[in-house]
Amino acid sequence: MSLLALHNVNKHFGPLKALSDLSFEINENEVVGLLGDNGAGKSTTVNMISGIHQPTSGHISVDGKKQVFTCRRDSAEAGVETIYQNTALVDSLSISRNIFLGRELTNRFGFMDLKRMREISMQVLESAVHISGIDSPDKLVGDLSGGQKQAVAIARAVFFKRRVLLLDEPTSALSVRETEALLNQVLKLKAEGVSSVLVTHNLYHAYQVCDRFVIMSHGTKVLDVDKANTTIEELTQHVVLT
Amino acid sequence: MTVTELHSVRAGTPRRSAAAWLHQILSMPAGAILLVFLVVQLACIIAGLAFPDDFRYLSPQNMGILMRSVPVLGCLALGAGILMIAGEFDLSIGSVYTLTAVIMAMLVGNGIDAFIAAPIGLMVGAVIGLGNGFLTLRFNLPSFIVTLGGLLFWRGAVLLINGAVQVRFDPNPVFNAMFGGTVLGINAAFIWFILLCLAFWALLHRHKLGNHIFATGGNRAAATAIGVNTSRIKMIAFAIAGFMAAFAGILATTRVGSVQPGQGAGLELQAIAACVIGGLSLRGGRGSILGVFLGVMLIFTITDVLLLMRAPGFYLDMFIATLIVVASIFNHGLDRRGGAL
Ligand SMILES: Nc1ncnc2c1ncn2[C@@H]1O[C@H](COP(=O)(O)OP(=O)(O)OP(=O)(O)O)[C@@H](O)[C@H]1O
Ligand SMILES: [Mg+2]
Repeated sequence: MSLLALHNVNKHFGPLKALSDLSFEINENEVVGLLGDNGAGKSTTVNMISGIHQPTSGHISVDGKKQVFTCRRDSAEAGVETIYQNTALVDSLSISRNIFLGRELTNRFGFMDLKRMREISMQVLESAVHISGIDSPDKLVGDLSGGQKQAVAIARAVFFKRRVLLLDEPTSALSVRETEALLNQVLKLKAEGVSSVLVTHNLYHAYQVCDRFVIMSHGTKVLDVDKANTTIEELTQHVVLT
Repeated sequence: MTVTELHSVRAGTPRRSAAAWLHQILSMPAGAILLVFLVVQLACIIAGLAFPDDFRYLSPQNMGILMRSVPVLGCLALGAGILMIAGEFDLSIGSVYTLTAVIMAMLVGNGIDAFIAAPIGLMVGAVIGLGNGFLTLRFNLPSFIVTLGGLLFWRGAVLLINGAVQVRFDPNPVFNAMFGGTVLGINAAFIWFILLCLAFWALLHRHKLGNHIFATGGNRAAATAIGVNTSRIKMIAFAIAGFMAAFAGILATTRVGSVQPGQGAGLELQAIAACVIGGLSLRGGRGSILGVFLGVMLIFTITDVLLLMRAPGFYLDMFIATLIVVASIFNHGLDRRGGAL
C-alpha cells in the first residue's frame, strides 16, 4: 500500500488548468523524482500535498485513506514536511524563530523557550546542511545569502521530518558541496524511513538519489518509471520533448 | 592569547568600548529612538535644573501632567502598534475611543455600576475591531480604507446616540480610585500603562502569539505556508487595537469625569505617529514595545516642552510632522533592523 497518493487530481486557477487528471503515489522508503519543464505543475502539486492549495476535483490519500488537507496544519499532522521553492521564510525574524515558526517550544502558557530553540537551531544547521557562515541563530533571515536561507528552510524540514519530505528545487541556490550534503541527507532520511519527493531541473541530481521518476508536462503525468528501467537519456528526452 | 593579541586588546580598549557601546545601542531594535530619548531627557533635565523658575520641567506639577497625559495616548499606541506589526492599520481607534467612553458614561448615568459598564465598553471596542478585521480580510480590502470608514462612521454614531453635548461620568469611588487615583504619589493610570507595556512586551516578544504576529506582518504568504493561521492572527490584532482604544477611553473619562463627543479626533494619527517614531515599519513585521513606549514618551516630552516654553500650538504639529518623516527615513535605511531576535 502506498504511503501517500494523488487520485485523478485536477486544479484550476480561474480559467487556467494547472493540473489535469494527475495520479501518482509515494511509497514507504522511496525517493521520487518529480520532473518537468517550467510551468509543468510541479510546485502546484507540492503545494497541494502541503495543504496550501486544494484540488478542484480528485483527492489525496494517506495510508489508503482519503484525506482533505485544508491548510498546512492538516498535512503536517499527516506527516508531510515541505521545503518550498521560494523558501517560505520571514525576513524580519531570526533564524531560530523561523525554524520553529508555528511549532514553537513553549511552556504550558505559550511562552517560548528561546534558549532551547536557539540551541537546537544551531545543532540542526550544523548537522543537516554543512552550511558555511551562519554563526548565530539570532541573525535575521533577511541578512542571509540565498544559499543560507535555503539551508534554514532545509534545517526546519529536516528537524520536523516525519514521513514524507517534499523538496521543491532545494538546491537552486546551494554550492556544489552543500548540494552533495543535501542529497546525502535525503538518502540518510530514507534509511531512517522518511520518503522524499525531489523536484529538480537537474536530472543528474535526480538520478543520483531517486528510486523512481514521475515526469509531468502541462499538468499531466507523461512518464512514471523505476530507476532500474530507465536511463538519463530517456528521462531527458521525456522532459524536453513532451 | 599571544602577545600581539594582548597588545591590540589593551590598545583598543578605551576608544573601542565607547564606539562599541554606541554601536550596540544603535543595533538594538529601538536603539536609535532610545538614544534620542535619552539625549532629549538629559537636555530637559539640565535646562530644568539651570532655570528652575522659567523652565519647570522637574516641578511636581509637570510630573503629574506627564503621568496623567501619557497613558491615554500610550494605550492607543500599544494597540495600534501590535496591529501595525501584524501588517494592518486602524484609523478608527480615535472614534472608537470616544464611542466606547460615551457608551460607558451613559450606562453609568442610567444607574449601571461602572464595573459592569467598563467591561461592556471594552467588549464593544474589541467587537468593532473584529468587525474591521472581518471586512478587511473577507473582502480583501486595505485596512486603511475600511478603518477610514470606521473613523467617520463611529464619529457620526457618537453624535447620533448622544448628540453634541458632553456626558458626565460619575462612577463609584472604588472605580475612581482604581483608574483615576494615585498610589504612593504615582498616578493609577500611569501604573496601568506600565503594566500593560510589560504585558504587551511579554506577549509580543516572548509568547508564541507574538512570534506569529511578527511573521504574519513580515511575510504573510510564508507564514501561511508554514502553518500559521494568519487570518486569525490579524483578527486578534484588530480586536486588541479596538480593546485598547476602549481602555484608553476608560482612563481618560475617569480622569476628567466627563466625555466630550469630539475628544478622540486626531488621536489615531498621534498613536500611529508614536509607533512610527518608535521604529515600527509601516509595512509590518518590524518593531518593539520599547519603541512604542519611547515614541509615546517623546511625543509627550515635545508637547510638554513647547507648553513650558509657551510656544503656540502649531509648533507642536510641525515638530511631530518633522519627527515622523525623519524617523521614517531613518527606519527605512535600517529596515533590516528591528525584527525579532
Ligand atoms: N497561485 C496561482 N495562481 C494562478 N496560476 C498559478 C498559480 N500557481 C501556479 N499557477 C500556474 O500553474 C502552472 C503551473 O505552475 P507551477 O508553479 O506548478 O510550475 P512548476 O512546474 O513548478 O514550474 P517551475 O519549474 O518553473 O517551478 C503555471 O502555468 C502557473 O502560471
Ligand atoms: Mg516550481
